[in-house]
Amino acid sequence: MKRIGIFVCHCGNNIAGTLDIDRVVEAIREFPEVVYAIDYKYMCSDPGQQLIREHILEDQLDAVIVAACSPSMHETTFRRTAEAAGINPYQTEIANIREQASWVHQKQQEAATNKAIETIRTIVAKAHYNQSLMPFYLPLVKRSLVIGGGIAGMQAALDIADAGYPVVLVEKADRLGGRMAELSGLYLDSDAAADPLGQKIKAVTHHPNIQVITQAAITEVGGYVGNFTVQIEQRTASPADQDPAGELVPYSFDIGAIVVATGYDLYDKKNLGEYGGGRYPDVIDGLQLEEMLRPDGPTGGRIVRPSDGKVPKEMVWVQCAGSRDPELHKPYCSKVCCMYVAKQSMAYKQQVPDGQATVFYIDIRSQGKDYEEYVQRAMEEHDVLYIRGKASKVFQENGHVTVWGVDTLTGLPLEVEADLVVLATAIVPRADAQELGQRLRVGTDEHGFLSEAHPKLRPVESLTAGVFLAGAAHFPKDIPETVAQASGAASKVLSLFSQRQMVQEPTIAFVDPELCSGCGLCIPACPYDARSMHEWQHIAVVNTALCQGCGACAMVCPNKACRVRNLTQGQILSMMEAYL
Amino acid sequence: MTEPQNHNKRVLIVGGGIAGMQAALDIGGSGYEVVLVDRLPSVGGHMHQLSETFPTLDCAQCIMTPRTVDVGRHEKIKLHTYSEIEEIQGEMGDFRVRIRRKPAYVNWDICTACGACTEKCPTSIQVAFDRDLELPKTMRSGRVRHEGTGKAIYTLSPQAVPKKPVIDADHCTYLQSGKCGLCAKVCPVGAIDYEQGPSWSEERVGTIILATGFELYPLEKLGEYGAGRVADVIDALAMERLLSSSGPTSGVMRRPSDGKEPKEVVWIQCAGSRDPELAMPYCSKICCMYSAKQAMLYKHKVHHGQAYIFYIDIRSAGKRYEEFIQRAMEEDDVLYVRGKVSKVFREGEKVVVWGVDTLTGLPLEVAADMVVISPAMVPSEGTQALAGMLGLKVDEFGWWTEQDGNLAPLETVRPGIFVAGAGSGPKDIPEAVAQGSGAAGKVLSLLARWGGHDDQDAGHDELGR
Repeated sequence: MKRIGIFVCHCGNNIAGTLDIDRVVEAIREFPEVVYAIDYKYMCSDPGQQLIREHILEDQLDAVIVAACSPSMHETTFRRTAEAAGINPYQTEIANIREQASWVHQKQQEAATNKAIETIRTIVAKAHYNQSLMPFYLPLVKRSLVIGGGIAGMQAALDIADAGYPVVLVEKADRLGGRMAELSGLYLDSDAAADPLGQKIKAVTHHPNIQVITQAAITEVGGYVGNFTVQIEQRTASPADQDPAGELVPYSFDIGAIVVATGYDLYDKKNLGEYGGGRYPDVIDGLQLEEMLRPDGPTGGRIVRPSDGKVPKEMVWVQCAGSRDPELHKPYCSKVCCMYVAKQSMAYKQQVPDGQATVFYIDIRSQGKDYEEYVQRAMEEHDVLYIRGKASKVFQENGHVTVWGVDTLTGLPLEVEADLVVLATAIVPRADAQELGQRLRVGTDEHGFLSEAHPKLRPVESLTAGVFLAGAAHFPKDIPETVAQASGAASKVLSLFSQRQMVQEPTIAFVDPELCSGCGLCIPACPYDARSMHEWQHIAVVNTALCQGCGACAMVCPNKACRVRNLTQGQILSMMEAYL
Repeated sequence: MTEPQNHNKRVLIVGGGIAGMQAALDIGGSGYEVVLVDRLPSVGGHMHQLSETFPTLDCAQCIMTPRTVDVGRHEKIKLHTYSEIEEIQGEMGDFRVRIRRKPAYVNWDICTACGACTEKCPTSIQVAFDRDLELPKTMRSGRVRHEGTGKAIYTLSPQAVPKKPVIDADHCTYLQSGKCGLCAKVCPVGAIDYEQGPSWSEERVGTIILATGFELYPLEKLGEYGAGRVADVIDALAMERLLSSSGPTSGVMRRPSDGKEPKEVVWIQCAGSRDPELAMPYCSKICCMYSAKQAMLYKHKVHHGQAYIFYIDIRSAGKRYEEFIQRAMEEDDVLYVRGKVSKVFREGEKVVVWGVDTLTGLPLEVAADMVVISPAMVPSEGTQALAGMLGLKVDEFGWWTEQDGNLAPLETVRPGIFVAGAGSGPKDIPEAVAQGSGAAGKVLSLLARWGGHDDQDAGHDELGR
């Protein structure tokens, strides 16, 4: 016999506003093995938790059920509460009567109350069979892999390496610096780009704890948090060589944590038929102009028309080229274009003071420290002409590039005969980001950007334990945001490495060796590759580190040899029986 | 200066909002001691006041309580709430911090947070947490009186961490006149202590994270929008409280003047932002998104209501932000008007908004029931004083100056002192959280160089380094 205590939470009005709490408490007191039941305004509050701890001792409870919100909210909270009073955390269960009762049946008090009572009844049936469990401890490799040698990857690598842990930094190109190395300058301090970046690159390459592998790609990722095995292939030939493939040198590393910082690409001009589809030499994208503006670039920092090398007297920037366009291109805003266009147009006006710079925009998005003032400067001090309206068409004729647009503030159509047009094309993930995401078991959104664990509160984590995100691979970001996020990802790695070993939840699958026939059905059924066949016993074995306790194996096992701890078939049947 | 191996590995975090909490959890979770100081009685900062969050419409309390609860019970995090920094001396590795705790007039050590004092307190007051809102209340006599939404003894919210009450000395009848004393009578454990004075404590730490956050530019300074004196013209945080299901109206949409459901609501963007002549020249970054969210939530509560948003530029640059604005426009029929509002004034039951639609060039007049202002974000009070104590720079508006705006956004010019969150300029929640973790990363990197924590077996030697 167990001694079960049930604690019913009002969640303010979230639950109590719909359910008849008194009736719930009265009903559940009658359930088998329930020796105590009470309700309270907010169980998660300090006094609520205190109430639980007091009654565990007073009523000598050995199992606790909290009827409250979803277990994803406060299961850990209440498990720790009960543990503090001496109850094994796996003897604490949550009955979800908020999301699954009061919230979904807001206007039906009677039905919602009944549903809550029945939900609690099933959890009581489950609690009867719950076992006390101990977490598993697994080894932890304190070496980190950083994928991408741009400013995000370098910053993360430096923060981790500075703490004394070894870092393997893998970069696809033959140099570090990423996109930032392609820029002419930063928004606010436009002469300074090369130097601070150069210092970062130097710090990374000279760091005793960082091993940089350029011209390399991740070919395989196995294992799990704390114990990944990563295969890397490096091309030996430089891109200038005859045979660009060169020789492939394989590397293999044991890795504890991974930071993904693969950065971005620009949406290909070819996709933008309305702006010439990449056919006109004098219609370029933002990065092409950056290359021209770079003092070490092919034109020595001078802006010239690619078609004839002449200095353009009239330049047009077209914002949102492929961004904010849900019908034809990308629905999202690419975040950095407004600012770099302001920077580029000012640089142009400094080079060609009598030139005309025109910017077509929808909304000016200068959200950052000193950004608004910066755009004002472009307008007021440098006479950059901002036209609110999207350019509808760009075409080349008579040695000019003509831009058709509309000024939405006057409502009048506008035609500009320009010498050079810059398209602020949408920012997209790297072409191979999706494939890498799959290899790392990190989800991507519909555009191919890597998905964070929670859009508000877990922005630098992925949903795969031990894999963290930094920079534009997650979504377009400017440099300061990228750098801060990279340090954030490093923090997560350092936090992980500060543990002695990995702790793994014990509520995972196990195989009863007496019942397993070695049929192998569970191996392909497992979505986490946590199942294999024992070499000579010919029964299935569970990799405890990879298993997430999803129960797919238990579903396919014909002999009921696969079971999930504290969620066995027996428990589920007894829950159903209680409900029916 | 002390040798690195003698450096103090405790960390001071100033500000218990979402950035400070994130930093505290990352550092505490790595085994180092954190001293977390907040001015308010409970942690959570401004996020604690919010209704729901963009772009997912997750309820702020729901996603945040696991964090506040974690901070509250974390064995490595020492909380000093209702406290302020009075003095900081020393340098990286050895800072000495003097902390002044304001008198709560409640002995927190014995208080059980039963709530009897607040329930029985006869004095209703306006509380800063609810943006000093006053709501109409019908008395027994049938008369309607406007009352503040809190009591003279209060906790910030039912889920507050720590959930211990404080007495507002300026409004407590007993502390003002010696009469009443009801809270002391009903307190079952005798925790009320009218004699309590401030107390001081000293902490020694090696590194500091400044997560001091923001405030809103006061409506009083916005003369063109009624200077805070026009009934039913409220600021955005007040609207958050009205929309919040744990707020003073339990999330029922009511306007402050007469408690009626507003049928037409106008949001005014860039009130005090992007206004170099009269107020702040900068963009406050988050208003576009929260206004869209508020308008959406309003429409979900008042289906036939009309929501207008006056804006200069819509700034929805973030993951799923642009799509969120589109949803407000297309699915919830929020009417976006491009133009700044020139004047707001009361006319009978209505609040009249004069503006111009710059896309048609025509002037526009809306007779609204309620107006929500998006005031500029400004640094939180006390930032400047703290900067003086630390010898750090703030910019002309009072935001923390980073070591480098691009490549060192978390560092200050002083070693061992870092910034996170909106204290260095307006930021949304994910950015503040990323910065909280980022500053924690900087600190963890330092602490590991100083030899790691005691429970850590020579961690980095395991790989032969």
